[in-house]
Amino acid sequence: MADSADKKLGRLFAAARAEQADASALEVHFETRLMARIAERKTLNSSWFLLAWRMVPAFAVIALISAVCSAAFSPSRSGDLFASITNGYEDVVATSYLAGECDE
Amino acid sequence: MPEQSDDSLIRATLAGDDGAFAQIVTRYKRRVFSLALRFTQDRDELDDICQEVFIKAYDNLKKFRREAPFEHWITKIATRVCYDALRSQRHGNNQVTGERTLEVQDHAADARNNAREARELLAWALAQLKPDERLVITLMELEEKSVKETVDLTGWSESNVKVRAHRARQALKRILEVDHGR
Repeated sequence: MADSADKKLGRLFAAARAEQADASALEVHFETRLMARIAERKTLNSSWFLLAWRMVPAFAVIALISAVCSAAFSPSRSGDLFASITNGYEDVVATSYLAGECDE
Repeated sequence: MPEQSDDSLIRATLAGDDGAFAQIVTRYKRRVFSLALRFTQDRDELDDICQEVFIKAYDNLKKFRREAPFEHWITKIATRVCYDALRSQRHGNNQVTGERTLEVQDHAADARNNAREARELLAWALAQLKPDERLVITLMELEEKSVKETVDLTGWSESNVKVRAHRARQALKRILEVDHGR
């Protein structure tokens, strides 16, 4: 039973190996179609690349405007490092004192 | 004019000469078409698969190491693209397979001795297999690749290839027995 199934399978494989379907009609001008597709992809890629480069000045202007805005509207910071640290520390001490967490 | 070697055509392509790549395509399209034909009979899908193979080759030409012949490299890419196509067929084409089943089964009883019918019967039976089993059995039985070559083309381990080939044969026998019983 198994032997006959093996033989049958063998015959089917041999028949399939013996004759390959013909694709010569599709092979005609295959290179032309393929190279056209490759060229199309290249054009598409390069147009994205060009567009990205053209957008660079716009992005630079947006970055500049946002930098100016943040500098203009944010509260002024002290240039004194000790003052900034102690300002923060004073807030912490006051909060602790009011909350009754302070030892003194 | 002497025929240029694969190596010089590859170098020219990498230098930007697309005409050189067209020559490579002319040289290897028969090989790619004949392999892809083992997996699909649909003309549009066949053309898509073959284009995909050469586009992948074009995109990855820099990675070609020249350790093996170019034909081997392109066959490896073709195997991978065919396997991907089999997997997407499996997800999207069940209806078509079912229709084909009925058609072949109707004629199978009186036309078993006919070679064309035998090929159709095998194509139908192969379409019932899982993509990995179909790939292995096609490479080993129809393309007559050895286990080692199949390992090389698929990237699977030797034991994996052997197990899949065994399972595929068993599944094919079961499918054909069921078909014979009807």
